[in-house]
Amino acid sequence: MAAIPQTTPTPPGVPEREKAATAKSSSLWLDAFSRLIRSKTSFIGLLIILLLLVVAAMAPVVATHDPTDQQLLDRYLAPSGDHWLGTDELGRDIYSRIVYGTRISIQIGLIAVGISAVIGILLGGIAGYFGRWVDQVIMRVIDILMAFPSILLAIALVAVLGASLTNAMIAIGIVGVPQFARIVRSTVLSVKETEYIEAARAIGAKNNRILFQHVLPNCLAPIIVQATLSIGTAILDAAGLSFLGLGAQPPSPEWGAMLSDGRAALQTAPWVVAFPGLAIFLVVLGFNLFGDGLRDALDPRLKQ
Amino acid sequence: MNKKVLWTLFGMLLFVVLIASGCSSDEAGSEDTGDDTAEASDDTESGEDGEKTLVFGRGADSVQLDPSQITDGESIYVTNQLYDTLVRYKEDSTEVRPSLATEWETSEDGLVWTFQLRDDVKFHDGSDFTAEDVVFNFERWATSADFIYYGYMFGATEDNLKGIIEKVEATGDYEVKFTLSEPNAPFLYTLAMPPFGIASPDAVEEYGDDYFKNPVGTGPFVFEEWVKDDSITVVKNDDYFDEPAKVDKVIFRTIPDNGARFMELQSGSIDVMNGLNPQDIEQAESDENLQIIRRPSMNVSYMAMNTDQEGPMGNKEVRQAINLAIDKEKLLTLFEGVGKAAKNPMPPSLWGYNDEIEDYGYDIEEAKKLLAEAGYADGFKVTLYSMANPRPYLPQPKVTAQAIQEMLAEVNIEVEIVENDWDTHLAATENGEHDMAFLGWTGDNGDPDNFLYVLLDKDNAKMGSAGNVAFYKSDEVHDLLKAAQTEMDQEKRSELYMEAQEIIHEDAPWFPIAHTTPPLAASKDVVDYLPHPTGSEPFNFLDISR
Repeated sequence: MAAIPQTTPTPPGVPEREKAATAKSSSLWLDAFSRLIRSKTSFIGLLIILLLLVVAAMAPVVATHDPTDQQLLDRYLAPSGDHWLGTDELGRDIYSRIVYGTRISIQIGLIAVGISAVIGILLGGIAGYFGRWVDQVIMRVIDILMAFPSILLAIALVAVLGASLTNAMIAIGIVGVPQFARIVRSTVLSVKETEYIEAARAIGAKNNRILFQHVLPNCLAPIIVQATLSIGTAILDAAGLSFLGLGAQPPSPEWGAMLSDGRAALQTAPWVVAFPGLAIFLVVLGFNLFGDGLRDALDPRLKQ
Repeated sequence: MNKKVLWTLFGMLLFVVLIASGCSSDEAGSEDTGDDTAEASDDTESGEDGEKTLVFGRGADSVQLDPSQITDGESIYVTNQLYDTLVRYKEDSTEVRPSLATEWETSEDGLVWTFQLRDDVKFHDGSDFTAEDVVFNFERWATSADFIYYGYMFGATEDNLKGIIEKVEATGDYEVKFTLSEPNAPFLYTLAMPPFGIASPDAVEEYGDDYFKNPVGTGPFVFEEWVKDDSITVVKNDDYFDEPAKVDKVIFRTIPDNGARFMELQSGSIDVMNGLNPQDIEQAESDENLQIIRRPSMNVSYMAMNTDQEGPMGNKEVRQAINLAIDKEKLLTLFEGVGKAAKNPMPPSLWGYNDEIEDYGYDIEEAKKLLAEAGYADGFKVTLYSMANPRPYLPQPKVTAQAIQEMLAEVNIEVEIVENDWDTHLAATENGEHDMAFLGWTGDNGDPDNFLYVLLDKDNAKMGSAGNVAFYKSDEVHDLLKAAQTEMDQEKRSELYMEAQEIIHEDAPWFPIAHTTPPLAASKDVVDYLPHPTGSEPFNFLDISR
C-alpha cells in the first residue's frame, strides 16, 4: 500500500476520499496488497522501482563523477575501476550519467502520466457520467487521438511545440490521455448504475458532488493500474523522442539521448549504448511487472 | 506463479525475435533499392558483358541537380558527373585542362577572354553543343540572385546581376568571347568549377522550374532517376567526347548515419562511402576487403559568429573571448587525427596563406577579462546552429557542439544547440537566424579568393543566400579582396590576402576549427579512385574489378 500513492498521481479531490474508501473496504485493499507481494514477478518489479527511487534521490552520493564533466582525452574508455561503465564520446562517466538520468526518467514518468491521468480522468468521467451527446463528442475526439500511432502523434506534437524535455513530457502526456479516458469512462458507466449512487442522487446531491466524491473514487483501482503501466511506456516514449533529438537536449544525461549519441561507436565502444539501453530496459520492465501484478491483485475476480 | 515467469521470459524472447525480424525486413527493404546492384555484381561475376554498377554511399541527399543554383558538396558530387565546364580541373590538382573548350586566350589587359570550343559535343537530349549554348547559360545565371555561385564568384548583386562579366558573345559557331568590366585573376580557374556546368538550353526551357529535377548536360553520365532522400541513379554516356566511363551505372545512396553506412560498406551493399566516422578508420584499415582513400586537404571548418547582431555577437571583444575560451587542441581530439587545427579562414595548402598569424590559443583568464571589459562578465545565452549530418570538414558536428557548449560554460556563456538537417541548416544560416553556427568550406578552384571573398566579404553577406554567414562586413577587407581580384600578379595578390587575414584574425568573425583530410572508405574492388582536393571528382576514370 505504501508504494501506491507515491507512484500514482491522484486527481483533485480524491486523496481524502481514498482514505475513506480504504477504511470502508479495507479488506479489498489489504487482500490486494497481500496478493501483490506474494507474486514473485510483481515483487521484482517493486524492487526495481524502489531501487530507481533510491538512486534518484541519492544521485549525488551514488555517482562517482560529475555527469556533464568532459574529459576529451579520456574518450571511449572501456569499463574499469575508475569508470565503472566506461566513458562516452566526450569522455563523460557513463555510470554517473545513468545515475543522474534516473532523475530525468522519474520526472518524465510522473509528469507525463500525471498529465494523461488528470485530463483522461476528467474527460472519461464526464463522458461516462453524463452520457448522451457529451459522451459522443468526447469519445469521438478520443477515438481520433487513438487512431494515431502514439509515438507518431508525440513526434508531431513536439514538432509543433519545439524540441525540449518539457514539451516531450507534455506530448507524451497528451498521447496517454485516451487510455485513461476510456478506462475511466467504462468504469464510471458501471459505477453510476450502483445503488449507492442512486441513493446519493435521491438525497439531492449535485452532479459535481456525485461525480467527484462518489463515482471517481470508486474507479481508483483501474486508474492506479493504468498509471503504473503508463509510467513505463512514458519513459520508453521519452527515450524514443530523445533518441530522435526531440526530447532532452544536450548535455542532459537522458538515457535515450545517450543511446543516440553513442551509436556512432556501436562497433568500437559498445558500452556507450549498452548500459543506457539496459537501464531503460530494466526500468520499463520494473514498471510493467509491477503494473501487471497490481492489475491481478486488484481484480476482484481473482479473489481466493 | 512460475508459469508467469515463463510467460514473461517467453514475451521477452518474442520481443527480441520481433525486433530482429523487423531489422532484417528493413535490410530487405534497403536491398530493394539497391536491387540492380546485387544483380549487377552477380552479372559481372558470371560474365564479362554484365553491367558494372558503382554504389556511392553518402550522408545527405543532393539539394538540387541544377549546379548553378546550389552551393553544397552533396549536390555538386552528382552534377559533376552530369555536366562539363568549359575547362576542367586536372585529375589530382586545381590546374585546368581543356574540356568543352579546347584552347583559350586573354587580352593584354585581362579583360577579354576568347575560348575555342569542341565541335563534336552533344547534350544528353541529343541537341548539339554550340557557342550559343554557352551564351545562353551565362545569360541565364545573370538573370536572378538564385544563381548563388555566380554571385559569389563574379560579384553579382541585386543591382548588378551580371557582376563583372559585362558581355558574353558567340563570335562563331564554336567560339565564345567574354568581356569583363575589370580584370579577374582567378577567372579561368573559376570557369572550371562544377557550378558553371553548361546545361542544355532546350531542357532548361522545357522543364522550367522543374529543371533541377531533370538535369541535362554533356557529362560522362546521364541522369536517370532521383528518389528524394534515397538515391540518385546516373548511367554511362556512351557518346562522351572525353574519356568514356568504365562503369555503366552509378547510384548515389543517402544513408544518413555514418555507422550504418559503414556497415553497409562492410556487407558489400555499397562500394564507396564518404563521411567515415573517425573511430571507424582503424577498423576499415584492418579489413582486408576495404581501403581508405584520403582526400587531399583543401577545406576549413569553422564556427561563424553572427556579427550583424546587436547583442554580444556584434561585439569584437566577445568574439575574441570565445576564441580564447575554447581549447582547440582538445577539441581536435574529436577529429581522431583527420584534422589539423585551423587559425586562418583558408587552408595552408593554398598560396597566400598567412603563417605569421598566431592563433588566439587557450587562455580562460584572458577570455574572462575580455568578457568583463565588454560588459558580459555574468555571461549570456547564445544559440549554436549545427548540422545533424557529418561533413567532410567536420566529421562529428554534434559531439563537437557539445564540447564547445561545455567549454563556453566555463566563461558563463550558455550555449543552446540547435540541430537541423543539412538543407534546413543551410537555409537557416543563410538567413542569419543563428547567433553562432557551424559550417565549413571545401575549396572549389584552389584560389584564396574562393575562401576569403566567398566566406568573408561583405558582398556575400546577403540575407537569404549568404556565403558569409558571420555577416562580417569590413570595408577594409572588402577593399583588399577586390584589389586582389583585379591584380594579375600572384605575388602581389598573395600579399593582399595575407593582409586581409590579419584583419580577419583581429576582428574574429569566426572561431576557425580545423582543416581535415577527409577519409573515404571503399571496397578493394574499386580501382583508380582519385580523390580531388575540391571535394568531388568525375567518375569516368575509376573502375570496378569484379
